[in-house]
Amino acid sequence: MRKRSATRLRTPLYFFNFLCFVCLFSAPAAGAQSQPPSVYAITHAKIFTLAGSPIEDGTLVMRDGKIAAVGAAVEVPAGAQVIDAQGLQVYPGLFDAVTQMGLSEISAVNATVDSAETGSYNPDVVAATAVSPSSEHIPVTRASGITEVLAVPASGGFDFGGGPGTPGGQASAIHLAGWTIDEMLIKKSAAMVLNWPQIQTETFDFATFSRREKPYTEAKQEYDRQVKELTDWLDRARHYAQAMEKGSVSKYDRDLKLEALAPVIRGELPVLVFANRARDIRNAVEFCDKQRLKMILAGGEEAYKAKDVLRSKDISVVLRPMLSFPPDEDDPYDRELTQPAELAAAGVKFAIASFDNSFARRLGQNAANAVAHGLSYEEALRSVTINPAQILGLGSQIGTLEQGKIANLIVTNGDPLELTTDVKYLFIKGQLTPLENKHRRLYEKYLNRPKASN
Amino acid sequence: MIPGIIDCHSHIAAEAINEGSVSVSSMVNMEEVLDPDDIDIYRDLAGGVTSANILHGSANSIGGQTLVIKLRWGQPASKLPFEGAMPGIKFALGENPKRSNFSIPGQPRRYPATRMGVEETIRAAFSEARDYKKAWDDYNKRVAAGEKNLIPPRRDLKLEPLVEVLEGKRYVHSHCYREDEILMLLRVAKEFGFKVRPFQHVLEGYKVADELASAGVGASTFSDWWAYKVEAYDAIPSNAALMTRRGVIVSINSDDAEEATHLNQEAAKSMKYGSLSHDEALKLVTLNPAIQLGIDKRVGSIDVGKDADLAVYNHDPLSAYAVVQKTLIDGRVYFDREKDIANRAEIEKEKKALTEKLKQAEKKPEEKKAPEKKPEEKPKPPAPTPTPTAAQGAATQGGVR
Amino acid sequence: MRLKLFRRCAFALCMVTSLLLLVRLPLVRAQGGEPQYFAIRGAKVVPVSGPPIEDATIVVSRGIITAVAKDAAIPPEARVIDGKDLTVYPGLVDAFADVGIPAAPPSGGEGGGPRRSQEQARGPQDRPASTPWRSGADEVNLSDKRIESWRNGGFTTVICAPKGGFFPGEAAVLNLAGERAGDLVVKSPVAIPLSFQTSGGFGGGFPDSLLGVLAYIRQVWLDTDWSIKAQALYEKNPRGVARPRYDRTEATLAEALENHALVLIPANNTVQLRRAIELIERWQVKGAIYGGQMGYEVAPEIAAKKLPVLVDLKWPDAEKDADPESKPSLRTLRFRDRSPSTPAALAKAGVKFAFYSSSITAPKNILKAAKKSIDAGLSPDVALRAFTLSAAEIFGVADRLGSIENGKIANLVVTDGDLFGEKTKIKMAFVDGRLFEAHEPEKPKDPSEGDITGKWKLSYTTPEGPEESTADLMMDKDGTISGTITSHRGTANIISGYLSADKFSLTSNIVLDQGPTDVMFTGTFDGNSLKGSITVLGMSLDFTGVKPGNAASTTAALGGAQ
Repeated sequence: MRKRSATRLRTPLYFFNFLCFVCLFSAPAAGAQSQPPSVYAITHAKIFTLAGSPIEDGTLVMRDGKIAAVGAAVEVPAGAQVIDAQGLQVYPGLFDAVTQMGLSEISAVNATVDSAETGSYNPDVVAATAVSPSSEHIPVTRASGITEVLAVPASGGFDFGGGPGTPGGQASAIHLAGWTIDEMLIKKSAAMVLNWPQIQTETFDFATFSRREKPYTEAKQEYDRQVKELTDWLDRARHYAQAMEKGSVSKYDRDLKLEALAPVIRGELPVLVFANRARDIRNAVEFCDKQRLKMILAGGEEAYKAKDVLRSKDISVVLRPMLSFPPDEDDPYDRELTQPAELAAAGVKFAIASFDNSFARRLGQNAANAVAHGLSYEEALRSVTINPAQILGLGSQIGTLEQGKIANLIVTNGDPLELTTDVKYLFIKGQLTPLENKHRRLYEKYLNRPKASN
Repeated sequence: MIPGIIDCHSHIAAEAINEGSVSVSSMVNMEEVLDPDDIDIYRDLAGGVTSANILHGSANSIGGQTLVIKLRWGQPASKLPFEGAMPGIKFALGENPKRSNFSIPGQPRRYPATRMGVEETIRAAFSEARDYKKAWDDYNKRVAAGEKNLIPPRRDLKLEPLVEVLEGKRYVHSHCYREDEILMLLRVAKEFGFKVRPFQHVLEGYKVADELASAGVGASTFSDWWAYKVEAYDAIPSNAALMTRRGVIVSINSDDAEEATHLNQEAAKSMKYGSLSHDEALKLVTLNPAIQLGIDKRVGSIDVGKDADLAVYNHDPLSAYAVVQKTLIDGRVYFDREKDIANRAEIEKEKKALTEKLKQAEKKPEEKKAPEKKPEEKPKPPAPTPTPTAAQGAATQGGVR
Repeated sequence: MRLKLFRRCAFALCMVTSLLLLVRLPLVRAQGGEPQYFAIRGAKVVPVSGPPIEDATIVVSRGIITAVAKDAAIPPEARVIDGKDLTVYPGLVDAFADVGIPAAPPSGGEGGGPRRSQEQARGPQDRPASTPWRSGADEVNLSDKRIESWRNGGFTTVICAPKGGFFPGEAAVLNLAGERAGDLVVKSPVAIPLSFQTSGGFGGGFPDSLLGVLAYIRQVWLDTDWSIKAQALYEKNPRGVARPRYDRTEATLAEALENHALVLIPANNTVQLRRAIELIERWQVKGAIYGGQMGYEVAPEIAAKKLPVLVDLKWPDAEKDADPESKPSLRTLRFRDRSPSTPAALAKAGVKFAFYSSSITAPKNILKAAKKSIDAGLSPDVALRAFTLSAAEIFGVADRLGSIENGKIANLVVTDGDLFGEKTKIKMAFVDGRLFEAHEPEKPKDPSEGDITGKWKLSYTTPEGPEESTADLMMDKDGTISGTITSHRGTANIISGYLSADKFSLTSNIVLDQGPTDVMFTGTFDGNSLKGSITVLGMSLDFTGVKPGNAASTTAALGGAQ
């Protein structure tokens, strides 16, 4: 039973969120910092832990940022802030495994974009360095139930399926809350981005804004050159790593780029390989296998065509949104929508991601559309929570509601994948985090605009 | 079952979208470049869309002439236009016509390069159109008065559609984002005595909803797009709901062939972000766009006497779990999910057979000749026109020379 | 190719060598002395205008057919040709080509409307990429080697138009022989060809899309129409009236339209064909379609409007050097499969059609392509008619050529069998009554070793530095080679080429300051590379050739493409 001393929180939500906003984000007066509560309890909720069957009328306790207890018969500790979640549901916060969160504010304005470094080989650049904690995208995204993301640097841009076949830098897993990037970090270097080169027979001539056809043999030659260059880099990184291990690195001039590749060639840091067409996927798999790299496929428009090799090589996939058209005219119109079900049936592990900032809030919508086309609901939920966590090696820290895990979770009034569901409360690192954001502010402001006199 | 979805802003079914070379390209007409074989027509049908407003791009302050089509997949271009629907013209304000986000190497910037210049470009065009109309009116008057041997004014394809706008015979669909440019066009429209119908995108429409409502101008917007450019930075997903609450007729459009396939879902978001009712949300993609396009007497709701343009879902259409099962236009089934699925193997089979046949023909012309030399061989019957279900693709391959 | 150096150091030589070249090359030789009277006796005659006549005699007098009959009287001055085992057809017509005009000028506002030459067009009033006043008749250049090679392939007539731009210029009917350019012209103008091709993309001025092109052309028709009316009204009463502005485009088109010139509209697939039908109606011009390859789908609609069609004989084919993983769509496959059935479908629907060579570079392949249509159901008689009388009818010259009839121009082609037969050889051709004996194009003496087909990068060093060009070669089973050679000077057709054993020889013809000049590539082919010398104006230099794709791809070992 609830302890008397527990403070009960009730709606109005907006008012509550506004308070939170004030206490969390307004600059506190000197000497007047108040520490947020460190213990929360959510009671009477239906809890989807994703680590077992849902718990009816359950309680979840958070302490010092972690989940302290979850179950039907859990005691609410003294001093806990209690949220009575009667009629509400609790889920792990959603994890968007490919975004440019904090790296790109307004995509058309270069000054606000830090997602793609120039040059072909930038294994040493790290997304976390450039993530702006003040990005308006962060609270907007959070309001749709997303609590953590992978911020991904990309040389070629996600939507173009590659570009230069090169390491684009290190992706960082971050919480969508924190005063500084250090507070936001889950893992600074979670994966090395590799934009897999394509054999491009169709090119775009920017001088004339027109399409150009390239003979296959020429395109293939260019591709071979790129793969060879990549191979050379990895070879050099291997030598460099050996030298470092033998302590003879002083004989080398220190090379930051090769140093950054060392965990990759040791198989410690996974490579997040962006590839969409079947051939590119197969080529990337073959390459990573030969180079003994730990591969995660990102994009995967035609991953279904390579599902056997993906399963046999145990390669997971971060799928781009299924609300997209297939590449070929004769492809079934719902080809991308049915792919998650097909991959699940084949035993390929996958996450679903937004591959965007503005559209990050469509993450749940995409997963729901996959369910409408044959994916099990349970698997859809996993594909935006625990699967991305596991794929990025964070499965023991986040992604399900289990004791000891980081307390990133949402309290909703329904299915978090459904379009009309509202997130009522959201916790990141065990802290009640405001749902207030730019869009809500503008909504409130203009909802209350006095009637224009004309 | 709901009324077929109407997409108030689409660029499908066209072989060209932009005549981007000039600031006023009103002489071009989307109807001339309709492409009935565009596979996106079929894909949008599969998303329950039955009518679409096919717009010119937004590279020009005044763009090309536009039209409403029905998605009659498998029919020739001449059968696509929505009979009797008012033709339109595309205007564009803000970053696109002033070309903020790109430049062409080696070329000076095109006028206009500011929102001020966009206004003047439109005003100049309408002044010219007024003069043109006057020249013809004078000529006709003098001819009627019996004057002989008058040299008529030159016909000008650029100005004719603008005269039609002035005469209320053509709708203005204006791409816009910011509140200031929305009001600017309302002023210009007032000055020259035409109406905008409706504003397109209008992502800051919620800021001037009262002004839109009192001008009686509709707004066709996105569900939740934002931040892809500066003028979209104040875009909010409550835009449709806020404008609706202030009495503006609002629709949600796609501007994208894929987005069009789930406009039902996009409409549903207004329930979440602005507390519209189920019915109000559904109207955003059915009756409201029909009103905006002036076709609501025939489509947009299910009513006795209206066209049987329908979309059938397996679930509440305002849910992300709903999938279109059938789409009907004029009472005829143009999309049937079951048949589509059943037909997939056929397509693969035919492709395989044709690939094999063409490969043989290329490799061994001599061997192939033998059976074909039979004198009794008759000409092959002409290939049947592909029906909507028989082929996802009918041919457009092969440009001329 | 950059050839300044040759010009600098070889002026004296070139006088001699170009003479040599002239003597060496011709594949078909005009008979000197110019007999004016001929009789072909005892041949099978296929007049096209009537049923074939076995064992007939044709008399040709001073360029005109003066008798066709089983036992026509042979004038004593006639040179008599024994027609035993020979078949005589009307000379063939290539219904739309630029044979006779060696090189296309740069497109885009060339000499046209823009107020200043460098300025981009800002609307229809600037008349972008329009040169309707150019004329196939005026631009004939006798040194175009294709005149000879087309004649050698049985073609005595082409409908010839300049290329480039939306209104490239007027088409003329040309006979393919003569002493002076003017001798070739049968009738001009006969058509106004249009092209809808923009120079591509943003930044090229108006129009930059199909939308703009169609609006532009429509405006030009309206302006032309206005110009005709306004000019006439002004002439009646010039006082107190502003005079209509002179516009060269309007003036030329007005004249051509008054002469009932045919407007040729590009349209190949179904959508384009239906659009063309509508455009012709909207524009109110006398129209014809060129392209037409998907006519099998819309033949009855074309027939209903009584529109003639010029069928492009370059049938759609699998692209060379295409990505093996990019599979063509069903519609592409259907198109490739069915396009040769178009002529049969047009014939069945009652559409009048002719054939044109389009991008076919070797004339012998024109008849081969037509044979494909016959295999796809077209009757050989109709095919022959398309190459002769139908073409003449479409362009309004059936009163003077296109069939073997008394009084018509003596354009004949003489074969040793059925025109479309696999083994049939063209023995001679008469153009305007002049006899040209056909010589087989150079053929390899020995069977060719390997296949030289493909795209080759040719490298060589001139005294000015290293240069490259691209040879796009297509080898037939008999070892003859056709294709093009492209350098930064432009693209030239290969007019003769073969691979004999491992020895190749390619000849192209380019226009230099001295006039048209042969460029010969000779050497050896080892299966992977080319090695040899380039000879121009008696000078030569060494070159090597590789296929870009064959360059060692050692990286395949690690994650190579499939």
